[in-house]
Parts: sequence; C-alpha cells; structure tokens
Amino acid sequence: MPVDDVVLAANGDTAAFERVYHAYLPRVHGLARRMAGPEAADELTQDVFVRVWQKLATFRGDSAFGTWLHRLAVNVIVERFRRLGTARRRFLDDGEATLELAHAPARSRPDLRMDLQAALDTLPEGARTVFVMHDVEGFRHDEIAQMLEVSPGTSKSQLHRARHILKAALGARK
Amino acid sequence: MDDQRTTRMTRGLARPGTAWGSGPAVDDPLNADDPLLAAIGALADEPPRRDLWPGIERRLHHRRPRSVTMTLPQLALAATLVMAVSAGVSWLALAPPRAAITPETPIQAVAEPAGPVRPDVARANFADAQYDAAVADLEQILRDQGEHLDPQTVMVIERNLRTIDEALQQARAALDADPANTYLNSHLADARRRKLDLLRQAAGLSGG
Repeated sequence: MPVDDVVLAANGDTAAFERVYHAYLPRVHGLARRMAGPEAADELTQDVFVRVWQKLATFRGDSAFGTWLHRLAVNVIVERFRRLGTARRRFLDDGEATLELAHAPARSRPDLRMDLQAALDTLPEGARTVFVMHDVEGFRHDEIAQMLEVSPGTSKSQLHRARHILKAALGARK
Repeated sequence: MDDQRTTRMTRGLARPGTAWGSGPAVDDPLNADDPLLAAIGALADEPPRRDLWPGIERRLHHRRPRSVTMTLPQLALAATLVMAVSAGVSWLALAPPRAAITPETPIQAVAEPAGPVRPDVARANFADAQYDAAVADLEQILRDQGEHLDPQTVMVIERNLRTIDEALQQARAALDADPANTYLNSHLADARRRKLDLLRQAAGLSGG
C-alpha cells in the first residue's frame, strides 16, 4: 500500500482511507476474530477503522504504520471488553468450563490452521484473549495484565489453560 | 512497546496474509517442538463475509478528525466558568443563610416555619444512580484514553475536574447547614451538570 494513502487519509481523503482499509482489513478482522470471537469481529473491525480515521492525524511516522495500527486495534478491542464490563468477568467465569472443553470430543479436520482457529473459537473468552495476546501477538504477561486489568498471575494461568485445551484439541484431531 | 516485539510485529506486517504477531512473547515461550507453534504459524487472516465499508463510511463523517490542541482555549474558558461557579458557591456557603437586609429594606415581622427544613423544597439528589454511573463511565473512558491526549490538555482537564469537585463539596457542606436553600441546590445541580459536560467533552476529545 502506498504510504501516500495514509498521508491523504490523514488529511480527510476518504477514498484514500478506503484503500488503507482494504489493505489492512484481513489483518484487523483476523485480530478481532481471534481476540473477541467471530460474533464480535465485524463490529470491532468497524470500530477499529473508525478509530483509525479519528486518530490518523496523530500518526507521526515514528513507527511503521502497521505497527501503530496494530497497537490501536488491540486497544480498541480491549477497551470494548472494559466498557462492557466484561474484562474481569471473562476471567472469573472461565473456571470449570475449561476442564470440560479439554475433554470434549473433537471433530475431525485435516487443516492445521482451521484446527487452531476452530479450537480458539471454543475456548473460554478469558483464555482465548490471553492466548492470542501472548502467543500470537507477542504481548508479555505484565502488559496483558495491565491492559485487561487483571494480575500477571491470572494472565499466566489463563495462558496455560488455553495451551492445555488447545493441545488436547489439536491432538485429538490428528 | 519493547523493541523485540516491535521487530516481530513489523516483520509480521511485512508479510501480508500472515498473523500480525509472529510467535509467543519472550517471558513464557512455547517449546520449539510444541505443535502449537506450527499451528500458530499456520494461522491466516481472512476478510469478513460481508462488506463492512459502508457502515464505516457512514460513521466517518459523524466525527471528523480534529486536533486536540485546538480545544485548549475551550478548556481554558471552561476553567474560567468553573472558577466562577466555585467562587459563587463558596460565597454562598460562607454568607448568612438569609438575604442581606439593606437600609432600604423594610423590616417586617414574619412567622418562621417550624423546624430547620422547609419540606416543600426538595434537596438536590446527590446520589442519583444514573448520574454517578455516567460520571464513573466517563472517568473510566478518560483513564483508558488519557494517553492519547496531549499532556497539557490532560492537565487542564484534571485541574477543571478538581475545581468542580471542590465546588460540589462546598455546595454539599453548605446544604448540610441549610438543606432547603434553593439557591444552593440550584448551584449544586449546575456544578453537577458542568462536571458531566466537562467529562463528556474530555471523553470526546480522547475518542471514547
């Protein structure tokens, strides 16, 4: 994508912004889907791009545009959790469901990628969010804890739960 | 954001169609032979099944991009107004509860109502649940989004909020002594409204 489109969009050119949108749509939507689930992904994707439009004037080019956009997208998604009051509940409510899912019979799927995506969709919300932020997006536990307003210990335990469930699910599908 | 992760993200972004991140964070990594690593590496991004652009385009024109620094004069004006409200409430809190009697005012004997409170005048509701919830929500948005605002703007907002809170506190203290004072009740309601307005304005600036 030409860098010029970002500059034009920052100056209010919606046609240029539409090109920026199309260039980054799959990645933003993929991030939203992995972090928040398929039901919320479309709406969150729209929220992210509206926020990008509002904040484009503050992008100074100190980092790559994609890096800036990624950080902003994660913030928008985490803010949604907090605004809906679900940030803590996502972690407190996970409890027993995790163990049940670990032993759930798995459907047979040949594709590894589809396997992981499907398994992610069945994870408890808190475990899924932490797994995606840590193992896919590369955030540290202290960063995750700060953003989600939980303790680093909660982040670690949710990550290990998620890994346990996902390994069991992937193993069952082999 | 640490350099190592920035590098990973940038590398991921350089390969369209791949996941944004490129693997576990350094503080709790997966083993190199863990099957999850291969599965994460195989994750791909897919576009949505419906066209999201029309919905985004409609929302773009509801709030145009704007410069935060342009609003500082507005915030300064708000600060002046708030100071005026605060000063007014302070004066009321310290003034005698009855209207001042000037030499031109004829002195008349009037019957005092029994008891310290006039029951026909309702005191403003300090604990209105909707108001408290709205303030809490907006304060949360401000905490979440404050980092996106210019530090000078944040400073002005915080100073204004402190001034309003002081005005609210003074009005409440004055009303404790004279609960039926309609003037104080009116100022209290006004200060509450100003606090809500300022928080809404600040949340709007921060993009919340």
